[in-house]
Amino acid sequence: METPTPSSPPSAGAKSRTREGAKKSDAKRKRLLLIGWDAADWKLITPLLDAGKMPALERLIHRGVMGNIATLEPILSPMLWNSIATGKRADEHGILGFTELDPNTGAVRPVTSTSRRCKALWNICTQRGLCANVVGWFAGHPAEPINGVAVSDLYPHATAPRDQPWPLPEGAVHPAELRETLAGLRMHPLEVQPAAVLAMIPRAAEIDHAKDHRLRGFMRTLAETCTIHNAATWILQNQPWELTAVYFNGIDHFCHQFMIYHPPRLPGVPEDLFNLYKGVVAGAYRFHDMMLETLVGLAGPEAHVMLLSDHGFHADHLRPREIPEEPAGPTVQHRRLGIFCLAGPGIRRDERIYGATLLDVAPTALALLGLPVGEDMPGRVLAQAWERPPAIERIPSWEAEAGECGMHAADQRMDPATAEAVMRQFIALGYIQAPGAQEAEARAATRREQQYNLGRAHLGAGRPAEALAIFLALGRESPEQARFGLHLAQCYLSLRRFAEARWTLEGVLEREESALAAPPAAAAGEAGKNASGGGEAAPAARGNPAMARAALRAWADGLLGAVCLGERDYEGALLRLRRASAADPGAPRLHQMLGEAYLRLGRDAEALRAFDRALELDGDMAEALRGQARVHLRRRRPELAVEAALRAVGMRHYSPAGHYLLGLALARCGDFERAALAFETALSQAPRLRPPRRALIAIHQRPGGDAAKAAAHREWLAAHASGGRARAAGGGR
Amino acid sequence: MITVVTGLPRSGTSVLMQMLAAGGLAPLTDGERAADESNPRGYLEWEAAKQLPRDPAAIVRAEGKAVKIVAPLLASLPAGPEYRLLFIKRDEREVARSQAAMLARSGTAPALPPAAMERALAATLRRTEDWLARQAHLPALAVAHADLLRAPLAEARRMIAFLGLPLDAHAMAACVDPRLHRQRAGGE
Repeated sequence: METPTPSSPPSAGAKSRTREGAKKSDAKRKRLLLIGWDAADWKLITPLLDAGKMPALERLIHRGVMGNIATLEPILSPMLWNSIATGKRADEHGILGFTELDPNTGAVRPVTSTSRRCKALWNICTQRGLCANVVGWFAGHPAEPINGVAVSDLYPHATAPRDQPWPLPEGAVHPAELRETLAGLRMHPLEVQPAAVLAMIPRAAEIDHAKDHRLRGFMRTLAETCTIHNAATWILQNQPWELTAVYFNGIDHFCHQFMIYHPPRLPGVPEDLFNLYKGVVAGAYRFHDMMLETLVGLAGPEAHVMLLSDHGFHADHLRPREIPEEPAGPTVQHRRLGIFCLAGPGIRRDERIYGATLLDVAPTALALLGLPVGEDMPGRVLAQAWERPPAIERIPSWEAEAGECGMHAADQRMDPATAEAVMRQFIALGYIQAPGAQEAEARAATRREQQYNLGRAHLGAGRPAEALAIFLALGRESPEQARFGLHLAQCYLSLRRFAEARWTLEGVLEREESALAAPPAAAAGEAGKNASGGGEAAPAARGNPAMARAALRAWADGLLGAVCLGERDYEGALLRLRRASAADPGAPRLHQMLGEAYLRLGRDAEALRAFDRALELDGDMAEALRGQARVHLRRRRPELAVEAALRAVGMRHYSPAGHYLLGLALARCGDFERAALAFETALSQAPRLRPPRRALIAIHQRPGGDAAKAAAHREWLAAHASGGRARAAGGGR
Repeated sequence: MITVVTGLPRSGTSVLMQMLAAGGLAPLTDGERAADESNPRGYLEWEAAKQLPRDPAAIVRAEGKAVKIVAPLLASLPAGPEYRLLFIKRDEREVARSQAAMLARSGTAPALPPAAMERALAATLRRTEDWLARQAHLPALAVAHADLLRAPLAEARRMIAFLGLPLDAHAMAACVDPRLHRQRAGGE
C-alpha cells in the first residue's frame, strides 16, 4: 500500500519565525493550545471531578467556561475532527470515513490529509505567518508542510517488534530535520511499565495472555497516547507557536475496548472480566488529566486553552447491547454530546456555555487568534465565552485567500473519483492487474461507505435532496443493505414525500422477512471495521442476528410511525411506535415520537409521560424537552414550559422551533423582552418562519414596543404572503 | 542491476524496451501480450509485473535485464536490488489520445472525457515524479518522448551513460520510427 508523500515545504511566500524571533514577541502574541480528547464525555468526567480525581480539568473549568458540544452526523471521528479543524462539514472538507482508495493504486488505505479539500486552522495560521503545530490529528498523514511542526497520525503506531528497527513512515513528520528527534520520543507498547498497567488493571497478573488479548490492546493504546503526549510536550518546549493542536484518541480507544466492563456490570458480562477491567475507563480519564496538567503548564497562563471532544460515549444504561455487524458499527456507542472547555485571557470564569457545536470550534479558534472568520463557515464564534464580546473580523472565505498555506500540492490531492477513473483505464488497457474478487469487493465497499457517509452528512445538515440521490444509488447497488433503505426513507420523510417513505420502508421490511426465511447469512466482507479506526472493538454483543433484526424492525417501525405522523394518521403512528418501542424499549427517540403522536391526539398526560420516559433514558434529548415545553404550554404552565424550552435550546442551539417555543413560554410569563429575543433568534436561524414574526408584531404593538420593528415584520409578511407555508426546522446545522 | 523502464501507459515504454533490446540488454518478457496495431513492434512486457504489489520479491528475476514497470506500480519495487530507472515522459494530450485509440480498438470507451483525462494523467505524472524524487534507491533518468523522436542517437547515448552499460547506441537509435508517432499533441 503506497503511502502518500508529503509536498515540499512552503515557499518563501510564507513567513516563518525563528525561535529567537518568536521568543521576543511571544508575550504579545495570542496563543491557543487546542486539545482533542476523542470521545470524552461529561457523564464520565463529572463523577471523577466530584471525587477530586481530575484536578487539572477542575482547575481549567474554574478558570474558564465549559459546556456540551453537539456532534455532527455521521458520528465518525475522521470526519468530525476535520470538521473541527476546518469549520466545514464533510461534504466540503472531503474526509468521508476511515478509509479511502489510493489514487495511485486503487488499493484501500487509511484516509489521508491529501484528501482534505479545504484549509485547516494550521493552514490558515501558516497563511498569515503564524506558527502552528499539529500533533496526531485524524487524517493528518502525510504531515503537511506548514509553518511549524506537523506530526501525522501514523507517527505513534508501532509497526515492528520492540527488538527490531522501528522506522518512521515517510511523511510522518514535517519538517524532515525533526524526524530523528521525534522518532526518539515514541513509546513502544512493550515499553509500558507494569506500574502503569497496574494503575488501571490492578489484577493484570491474573490475565491469561494466551487467551485474553485485551491487555495487548490496552498497552498499545497507552503507548500511543504517551507518544503523542511526548511529541506535544517537546514541541511546546522547543518550538515557537501561536497554535498547537494535539489530538488524543486514547479515551475513545479505551472506551471501545473496555466500556463494556465499566461499572455497573451489565447483564451478560462475565464477572471475572468485569472485575479485571472495571477500572480502565476511569483510569484512562485520570491519565489524561495528568497529561492535561503538563500541557496546560507548558502553554502558560497567557495562552488560551481549548479542550474538546468530537462526541461522547455511552457509559450508563444507554450502552448498546448490540453492535451492528456493519462498517463502523461501534459508532452506536457514541453519544451526540461531547465536552467543551475554554480558558484564558478575556474568557469568562467558572461559567457554563450552551449550544456549542463542532462547527463553532474553528470560528472561535480564529477569533481567539485574532484572525478573520470565513463567512462560508457555517458555525459561529462562541462569543458568550468572552467577558466582553470579541471584535470579529470576517472575510468571504479562507479558500479564496491566495498564498502559501502549507497544504499539500494540488497534484497530491486528486479527487478520488478521478483517480479511480484513471486506474480503471489503466486496467482496461491491460497495464494494471484488475483486482481479485476480494480486493475488488473491498474497494467497492470503501466507495460505498464513503458515499453512505456523505449521504448521512447531507441528511444531518438538513439537505435531504442531496442525500436522496446518494441513498437511491446505494440502494440500487446494494438492495440487501437495509441501512441504505432506512436512510432513503428518512430522506423522503424530511422532504415530506410520505408515500415514497412508506413504500421504501415496507420494501425494507419485506426483504427482511425474506431474509429470515433463508439460512442466516455469514458476516459480510464489510463487517469488522471498528469506529476507532485502529483500536480493538469491544468484543461484546457483536453480530447477534436476532438482536440486529429486532433493532432494524424497530427502526423501520419508528420511521413508519413518523410517516404516519406526517400523514396526520396519529392512531396509525401510535400503533407503529408502540410496536417499535416494545421491540426496543431503551430507544429514547421512539418514546419521544410517541409523545408527539399523543400530543397531536390531544392526549397531553400520555404525551408528557412519553416525553418524560424519553428524558429518563436520555436526559439530553432536545426534542423531548421541546415536547415537554409544548405540553406545559397547552396545560397553561408557562414557567415549566420556559424551563423545558431553555434546556432544549441549551442542548441544541440551532433550533428555530426551540427558540420559538421558548419565546411563546416567556411571553405567556409576561417576559416580553426575553420573548422577543427568543423570537429573533428563531428568525436568525430560519428567516422565512412566519409565527415568530407574528409574535414579534404582537409584542412590538404593545405599549413600549418598537413600532418600526412591528411595521418591518408586517411588511415582510405582506411581501411573502404567497410564498407558501414556512416550517420551523428542528434539525441541526 | 535491474533496468526499469517506466512511465505512464502509452508514453513510449515499449519503444524504450525495444531500444534496450536492440542495444544488447535482454528484456525480461514473457511474450504474453503479442504485437498488435497499438504496438506493431511488440510490447516486451512481463506479465508478472502486474503482480508486484502482491509479490514484490519476483523482481529479482529482472536482475541484469530490462523490465517494464508502469508508473503506478513503481511503489511496489522492493528495496534491496540495485535499480536504474528510465522514466519516459510524453505530452499528456498524446498519452490520452493514444490510450483512447487503444481502448477504441477493443471497443472500450475512455474512463473520462478527453480534457479531464489529460489533466488527470498530468497530475498522476507529477505525483509520481514527486514521489520518485524522494526514493534514493530508485535513481531515474527522465527521457522526453519528443526528444527521443527528434534525436534518438543523442538520447540513446544519454541513456547508456546513465545506465553504465556497454550498449550499442546506433542499434538503439535505429529502433525509433517516427512513422509510429501517431497521436500528436499538435493534432494529426
